Amino acid sequence: MSILAYNGGCVVAMRGKDCVAIATDRRFGVQAQTIETDFEKVFQFNPRMFVGLVGLQTDILTVRDRLMFRKNLYETRENREMQPARFAAMLSSFLYEHRFGPYFIEPVIAGLDPKTLEPFICNMDLIGCPNVPDDFVVAGTCGEQLYGMCETLWKPDLEPNQLFEVISQAMINAFDRDAISGWGATVYIIEKDKITVKTLKTRMD
Amino acid sequence: MYAGHQVIPQQFWSNGPAPGQFYNFTGGYNGLATGSANQCKEYTTPGLFGTQHSSSPITTGTSVVGIKFDGGVMIAADNLVSYGSLARYQDVQRVFKVNNKTIMGAGGDFADFQSLKRSIDQKIVEDLCHGDDLEMKPKSLYNWLTRVFYNRRSRFNPLWLEMVVGGLDNGEPFLGHVDLRGRAYEDDVVATGFGKHLALPLVREQLVEGKKLTQEQASDVLRKCMEVLYYRDCRSMPKYSVVVCTKDGSVVQGPFNVNENWQLATMVKGY
Amino acid sequence: MNFMGIEQFPDYKVPGTQHQDFSPYESNGGSIVAIAGDDYVVIAADTRLSSGYTIHTRKQNKLFQLSGKTVLGSTGCWCDTLALTALVKARMQMYEHTHLKTMSTDAIAQMLSIIMYNKRFFPYYVSNVLAGLDNEGKGVVYSYDPIGHCERATYRAGGSAGALLQPVLDNQIGFKNMQLDGEIPKVSKDRAVAIATDTFISAAERDIYTGDAVCINIITKDGIEVKEVQLRKD
Repeated sequence: MSILAYNGGCVVAMRGKDCVAIATDRRFGVQAQTIETDFEKVFQFNPRMFVGLVGLQTDILTVRDRLMFRKNLYETRENREMQPARFAAMLSSFLYEHRFGPYFIEPVIAGLDPKTLEPFICNMDLIGCPNVPDDFVVAGTCGEQLYGMCETLWKPDLEPNQLFEVISQAMINAFDRDAISGWGATVYIIEKDKITVKTLKTRMD
Repeated sequence: MYAGHQVIPQQFWSNGPAPGQFYNFTGGYNGLATGSANQCKEYTTPGLFGTQHSSSPITTGTSVVGIKFDGGVMIAADNLVSYGSLARYQDVQRVFKVNNKTIMGAGGDFADFQSLKRSIDQKIVEDLCHGDDLEMKPKSLYNWLTRVFYNRRSRFNPLWLEMVVGGLDNGEPFLGHVDLRGRAYEDDVVATGFGKHLALPLVREQLVEGKKLTQEQASDVLRKCMEVLYYRDCRSMPKYSVVVCTKDGSVVQGPFNVNENWQLATMVKGY
Repeated sequence: MNFMGIEQFPDYKVPGTQHQDFSPYESNGGSIVAIAGDDYVVIAADTRLSSGYTIHTRKQNKLFQLSGKTVLGSTGCWCDTLALTALVKARMQMYEHTHLKTMSTDAIAQMLSIIMYNKRFFPYYVSNVLAGLDNEGKGVVYSYDPIGHCERATYRAGGSAGALLQPVLDNQIGFKNMQLDGEIPKVSKDRAVAIATDTFISAAERDIYTGDAVCINIITKDGIEVKEVQLRKD
C-alpha cells in the first residue's frame, strides 16, 4: 500500500467568478481504522489564501509548520503579503529540495491575489511539479472519483453560492465511493470581502 | 550447489523418445496411435524442473502493414528475418497467399510462424482434398488463429507472433490483426510492431471517413510506409513483398525496393 | 523443499531454469455505464481498444448482444473478453437447444458468475456489466468482479474510468446526497441516455483509455436500439 494512502483523505479546489473554493474531508485514520473525525487538511496561510495538504498525516503537520515559517520570514523581510503564485513557487522548490527523500504529501493551493484579487488554484505532486489550471484541482485517495465529479459538475464563472453547491456535491459523492476518505467535510469559499466556512454533515461509514 | 543431483538419478537422455518409443516429429501424425487425450501439439519435452517455455523471440520478423481498399485488401512486409540485431536471412517471404480469398502476413518469432504455417498448410490441403470448391475464408483463419494463440498463452507457452489476416469474406474486404495473447481486432488499416507507430499515422492521413482508397492509392501508401519503416526501423531492409487479394484471387507481388535516398546524409553532422 | 525425504526444489532458485517474464494479461482499457429503469435499460461502452500509449483501433464494439433483451458489456484484457463472450454464447445456445427457450437475463447473470468463478485461479481479467430486462420486463443491471462476484443494481459504471463515473451516477441517477422532498424521482429513458453520454464525455477528458466514440444500446420490450456518439480522439 502506498504511504500516500496510509492515512487517507482528500482535498479539492475550484475556481469561480471572482472567487475560489477549497474543500477537505475530516477523516484521519490509520489504514482502515478511523482515529479522528475532525481532522481538517486545509489551513489558512493568509487572509485570502488556503492550502490543503493530503497524504501522510505526520508530513502534513511538518510541511504546514515549515511552510508557515518560510512564508512568515518572506513577509517579514519584504513587508508585504505573499501572493498565492509566489507561495506555490516556494512550495514547489521546497518539495523539490527533498527530491530523493520526499515528504509524502500532495498540496493544493487556493486563494485570491492580495492586490489584483485574481483567483488562483494550484496543485502539485509530492516532489513539487506544479499544475495551475483554470478550472479545478484535486488531490487525495479519491482523486479519480473527484476528477469524474468535477468534470461533469463544474462550469466556468460560477457565482459563490453556486460554486459552494458544486464543490460540496463533487466532494461528498466522490468520497462516498472511497473507504478511507469522508466522515464529514469542510468547505471554504474565498471572496474578495469575505471568507465563508461551512461544515457539511455526511454519512459516517 | 543443488543437492538433488546426488539423490535423483539423472535422466538417461532428454528431449528424445522414451526407450522403446518413437520420436514425435514436428507436424507428424500423432492423433489416434497414442490414444492419450492429453496429447498436445507443443513440441517441448518436460525437463528435470518442469518445462521451459520461450519468454522472448529469437529469430524475428519486423513490421507488417495491411490496408483495405475498394474491392480488396493488401498486406506488405519486408523480406528480412533478423537474429537479434543481425540481419540474418535476407530473402524470406513474410506475406502469404493462403488461398484465393485469404492472405496473411506475420511478424515476431519466425520459428513459431513456420511451425504454425505447417498447420495452416495442412488445412489448405484438407480443403483441396474435399474437392468441393469450398475454401477457408479470412474470418475463419482469423478466428482459428485467435483460439490457437489464446490457448497457447493460457498454457504460458505463447506463439510469439503478431499476425495480419486479410481477404475477401463473401465479397467484402476483411482485415484483422491477432497477437500472441489472442487479442484480435478488425480495422481498415492494421500494422504490427514498429509499423503501429510509423505506418499507421501515414495511412490514416490518406483515409477519409466514408471514402475508400483505390488499389493504386493503397499500393502507393504502402510503398511510402515501407520506405519510412526502412529509414527508421533498424531491424528492417529495403526489399519488401506485397500480397494482394481481390475478386480475381490472391497474388504475392515483389520483391520491390523502396526509394532509398541518402543524399541528405552528407548534410547530417555528428554521427 | 523436502518431499518424501528427498530434497527436490531448492526454495528460491533452480539452476538452469530461466525466469518467466511472459504476462498472459494485458489491459486494453474501455469503460461501461449501465442504467436501468422501470421498462428500459441503457448500456453504453466506448469504442477505443488500446494498450499503454498505443491505440489499436478506434471502433471496437464492446457491447455483446446475447439475446433480444440482454446485452453484456465487457472490458479489460481483450483476449479474455473474446474467450469469455464466445463461451457465454456457446453455453446460451446449448441451453436453447436443451430447453427450447432463450435464457432469461437473470439466468445469464447467474451463469456468467459461474463461468467466471470456474477460472478462479487463472481469472478472466475483465470488468463485466450485464444489462437486460428481467422476466417482468423491468430493467436490471448486474456487475461483476474478475472472479465472478455478482451484484444486482439499478446503475453501474465499470472499466478503466469506473472510479470516475460511479460517483457521478450515484449523484445523478441515485440522487445521493440530494435534498429531496418525498421519494426518489424516476429517471426517464431519454434522461438516462443523456447522462450516460455526458459521463463518457467527462471520462474521455481525464482517462486516456476511454474515448473515440461511445456506443449506446437502449433495450426496451420493442427491441434494442443502437446509437453512437463521437468522443474526443486524443
